[in-house]
Amino acid sequence: MSYEPTIIAFLCNWCSYTGADLAGTSRMKYASNINIIRVMCSGRIEPLFVLTAFREGADGVLICGCHPGDCHYHEGNYKCLRRYYFLKKYLTQMGMNTERMRLEWVSASEGKQFAELADDFTEKVRNLGPCKIKEAAETLT
Amino acid sequence: MEEIRIGVYICWCGTNISRMVDVEDVARELSEMPGVVISKDYKYMCSDPGQALIIKDIKEHKLNRVVVSACSPRIHELTFRKALENAGLNPYMFQMANIREQVSWVHDDREKATKKAKALVAAAINRVKWHESLDKRTVSINPSTLVIGGGIAGITAALELADTGSPVYLIEKTTELGGNMAKIDLTFPYLNSARQIIQEKIERTEHHPNIHIFKNTVVDEIFGYIGNFNSIIGQNGSEIDLKFGNIVVATGLKPFDPSGLENYGYGKFPDVITSLEFEKKLLSGNILTNEGKDPENVVIIHCVGSRNRSEHEYCSRTCCMTALKYANQLRSAIPDANIYQAYADMRAFGKGCEELYTSTSRKGIMFLMFDQQNDLPVIKKAEPGDSCNMLIEMNEKLSGEKIEIPADMVILMVGLEAHEDAKKISHTVGISLDGNSFFMEKHPKLDPVATTTSGVYVVGNCQAPKDIPDTITQAKAATARIMGTIKQGEVEVEVITAVVNEDICCGCQTCIQVCPYTAITYDVVKGVSVVNEAICKGCGTCGSACPTGAIRSRHFTDNQILSQIKGLLSKSLELKEV
Repeated sequence: MSYEPTIIAFLCNWCSYTGADLAGTSRMKYASNINIIRVMCSGRIEPLFVLTAFREGADGVLICGCHPGDCHYHEGNYKCLRRYYFLKKYLTQMGMNTERMRLEWVSASEGKQFAELADDFTEKVRNLGPCKIKEAAETLT
Repeated sequence: MEEIRIGVYICWCGTNISRMVDVEDVARELSEMPGVVISKDYKYMCSDPGQALIIKDIKEHKLNRVVVSACSPRIHELTFRKALENAGLNPYMFQMANIREQVSWVHDDREKATKKAKALVAAAINRVKWHESLDKRTVSINPSTLVIGGGIAGITAALELADTGSPVYLIEKTTELGGNMAKIDLTFPYLNSARQIIQEKIERTEHHPNIHIFKNTVVDEIFGYIGNFNSIIGQNGSEIDLKFGNIVVATGLKPFDPSGLENYGYGKFPDVITSLEFEKKLLSGNILTNEGKDPENVVIIHCVGSRNRSEHEYCSRTCCMTALKYANQLRSAIPDANIYQAYADMRAFGKGCEELYTSTSRKGIMFLMFDQQNDLPVIKKAEPGDSCNMLIEMNEKLSGEKIEIPADMVILMVGLEAHEDAKKISHTVGISLDGNSFFMEKHPKLDPVATTTSGVYVVGNCQAPKDIPDTITQAKAATARIMGTIKQGEVEVEVITAVVNEDICCGCQTCIQVCPYTAITYDVVKGVSVVNEAICKGCGTCGSACPTGAIRSRHFTDNQILSQIKGLLSKSLELKEV
């Protein structure tokens, strides 16, 4: 059986989650590997959430927020962006491939873009193979 | 600690979910999770019997947590929270798993979809264990309303509210009230005078004691929240501080500019005019060509800028009937004229419209069809010997023949598009735009005039192109909603604000720097941060920046989200093995 990646996607309530809902109401099809967790704002997404996802066995983590300038809370997405760069460095230091994590802006009207993003990211993570963090952590502890 | 007793409900949504997700299997499997007391599936959870089922179970099985796995929480989260409340449970002891918009409608492998649904429900069950009772918060409602836009939509909303005795601030960016409706002669389908209707309303608005009009004014910034907004607007060099409880956005649309469409030669041929320019001729009482003659041949071209991949994909909804109205007006004004309708599809929906189409087609009008996607008509200058001054070449779709139509006047039925400042307005009032820069309503079917920002309503063309009756209907619907909140005097607001645990707060003030609303201040005496819950909007940015974990974002706490992640992944990995 071929390897199916498990992906956690953190989506802000106002733009990206609504965009993902729009993909649904428009009956667009995308990979079922993407599992969505809703937060009010991408500014709420803590590095700890992303790291926990990897630690608990996610092969990829997708983060989506409103486009720059469109944040429902004015600037939470900029805070998210800063943390994303920080987190990327941290993942590199941990010896992880940073391509397992991705940040994209998806607006409430971009159902199609979300569906395409979901497929594209799933394919990329599939090609990277399984993430071994969970196994490694379990061996160590 | 009290024992956790969770009720899990998996919705079929008719066949919407059950077609792609084995709902019975999901309910069966999740019933084994720790803390789950009962797990059921039902045809329509949101229906009255569906909600009654939850209420009955809460009472019978002493449930203290509920998970509903159904559509998007953006649609029915409030419905189910109310059901919990009716059963005497705190409404926040509830979590929804979205297995319709984000599972059954987007996947086409039943086995995979069922597995994903199980993982999402497991995540919700794990999360709901960490939920805590939250107290309701209400705010008082300022009875004044800000209406942005002085067209028929804004005027209708302003008058409705003012007539109930509530103050209205009406903001108009131009120097005149009336908007697009004041620029047209007759309305379709009954050919009543637009001017008479709008003029009477403008006069009433201008003299209404409860309406304060600010012409030549734009709103740059709005602060506050439902019930308690304020904005400072410039007026004759001085600044006025307005306070209001609700906002109606009625900024309308503008006509499409056809200059970029070479085939129609707008700007090149003086007798190729737009529909609004033709209205001007009708209002002046003279339908004359550029040379001052009665046109013998008038061609009305439909769908200019609409329903075409290169301009706007959407239908502007008003142009077909307006074109029929012109044919009637032309037939009365110049009985001998040859009148042609070059159309793509005739869209005659709505009361009285199909009847207008039928009656117009009996008045000797030629209807010629073209392919709007691939083969548009082309306007050319006529040869010196021709009896007209322009020729329109088109492939007539129904006969399959290539034809030339003589024309002395061409009316381009231009579509409607968003104003350039739509984005700016959306930021000012805090609402979203759709792909065509129309303002997005909260829900296209269930809540078509509210927006995702409480207290902000969208009415008329700025939400999407529509005719006058639909615009007025929307304006009145929004005002009914606003009057409801004014009458109650207060409204419930979200309680998912941030809260500081003063015992752990180290006073670093990182949260103060990241808060976009300056809702957090520093208590010098205690040496801790303090959240003003009236200003906090619950984005949670402070919560993720806090180094000690002293700030908690209510209903989106670390424990709640981390448990959701863990629940999701453990179920997902467990099912992978199978």
